Amino acid sequence: MLKYLISTVVSVVLLTTFCFVLWVVASHDYHWEAIRPYWGNLISGWWVTLLVSAAALVLSVVIGVLLTGGQLSGHRLPSVLCRIFVEFIRGTPLLTQILIGYYLIANSVGWDSRFGVGVVVLSCFSAAYLSEIFRGGIESIPRSQWLSARAIGFTGWQTYRFVVIPQAIRRVLPASAGQFANLIKDSSLLFVISVHEFTMQSREINANSYSTFEAYLPLIFGYFLLTFPISLLSRYLENRFRYEH
Amino acid sequence: MSIEIQHLSRHYGATRAVDGFSLQLDDSVQVLALIGPSGGGKSTLLRLLGGLEVPDSGTIRLDGKELPHSEDGLREFRKRNGFLFQSFNLFPHLSALENIVLPLVEVHGWTRDRARDRAQEVVERFGMSAHLGKMPAELSGGQQQRIALARSMAHEPALLLLDEPTSALDPEMKAEVLDVVEELCQAGQRIILSTHEMGFARSCADEVVFLARGQLVESGKGETLFTSPKTEVVRSFLGKVMKW
Ligand SMILES: Nc1ncnc2c1ncn2[C@@H]1O[C@H](COP(=O)(O)OP(=O)(O)O)[C@@H](O)[C@H]1O
Ligand SMILES: [Mg+2]
Repeated sequence: MLKYLISTVVSVVLLTTFCFVLWVVASHDYHWEAIRPYWGNLISGWWVTLLVSAAALVLSVVIGVLLTGGQLSGHRLPSVLCRIFVEFIRGTPLLTQILIGYYLIANSVGWDSRFGVGVVVLSCFSAAYLSEIFRGGIESIPRSQWLSARAIGFTGWQTYRFVVIPQAIRRVLPASAGQFANLIKDSSLLFVISVHEFTMQSREINANSYSTFEAYLPLIFGYFLLTFPISLLSRYLENRFRYEH
Repeated sequence: MSIEIQHLSRHYGATRAVDGFSLQLDDSVQVLALIGPSGGGKSTLLRLLGGLEVPDSGTIRLDGKELPHSEDGLREFRKRNGFLFQSFNLFPHLSALENIVLPLVEVHGWTRDRARDRAQEVVERFGMSAHLGKMPAELSGGQQQRIALARSMAHEPALLLLDEPTSALDPEMKAEVLDVVEELCQAGQRIILSTHEMGFARSCADEVVFLARGQLVESGKGETLFTSPKTEVVRSFLGKVMKW
């Protein structure tokens, strides 16, 4: 009975919201010609977001693996250092990290590439979360698997390579895909150091053309176009790594 | 097999899993069975004998050689032996065939072809040929255990250690696995196993050791120990487990 009630309420609320949004979007009096001169900017912004995200995705996996390795290495110093790094990154806002990373750290070493700094900061941020996901995946492999591997005569490295990592990959895929989607969305914060990515271009178009709807609506589709393939890919890989059957 | 165990101890915090255990066996013993109540220290003793753990004190000599203490030395030692746990031995992401082939290739340096031939040969002997391509999750408990047994003996181990290999199985599957173990015994494989299958211990083991609270309570030929136990502990244990 309660289940029925909840599902009814949820359906009604969601349907109403959905219809309302649809009505707002559909009933608007569009003037697409107002932003016609800026289409090029929008596309270049989307392209920058794609590049930043792709670069940061690769780098964040590399850093994430290193952070996980450091924490599980069994050596005290790297383990503590990685732990501090992860806690620090996860405990502070990305916006602050971007500002400090660019204006303080990069400036002090004379590095002036906004794009480069943006990629590095975004990678470090995402890597901290990824390393927690990876660590959880590795620690979720049952003790019996480690013991069997040891009994066979595998070295520590062989145990990881042939037994632990192949099983852990499947377990961390869904959460990692979620983190990749977050990374793409978080890249919009790079406007604070004037990286001309997708969101920043929209804001500028809005400011120049006074066409809020026309400037912001493409964002929805543009970001979804980037995140949805990741979700599809993750589902495909999950099936490929399935070993129950 | 010649085994010389002296004052062996392994404690976990306050738990004395193995506590001053000593035993001497000569070459006439090919199969050794460890029996006794749960928590008596059988698994711990097997892990120590198999080089999976290091004792807190005491020594183990196998064929006159003391077990190494370093991790590298112990790994070399483990490579020469085979180990089978009660359950969850197989790697679930690899097929039955791959489970057997992988250690042969990666640990023992065989070519893939040779390893595959060997896997087929062993599995045929265990009556499991039809299941070689299956994933562990597609096999019954008894079949999984037979594949795991095949993996643990495919490299012709000097010594096979089996820790309650049938305890997690239904009666029918127990029999499947015990048949295979018996066949290995007949074929001359050196085996140390812990078991609750008293009938099996009696008929297959050359020597039976009763272990309780980490200590050797009584040991001897199966016939003697089962028919006329010397200690009250063993008598009451056998009375209980043989009753049904
Ligand atoms: N890794 C471990 N950590 C802590 N206690 C353990 C561990 N392994 C075994 N023990 C304890 O040691 C005792 C002997 O256990 P075990 O060797 O498994 O006996 P058995 O195999 O005869 O049932 C038990 O009390 C058990 O709880
Ligand atoms: Mg046990």
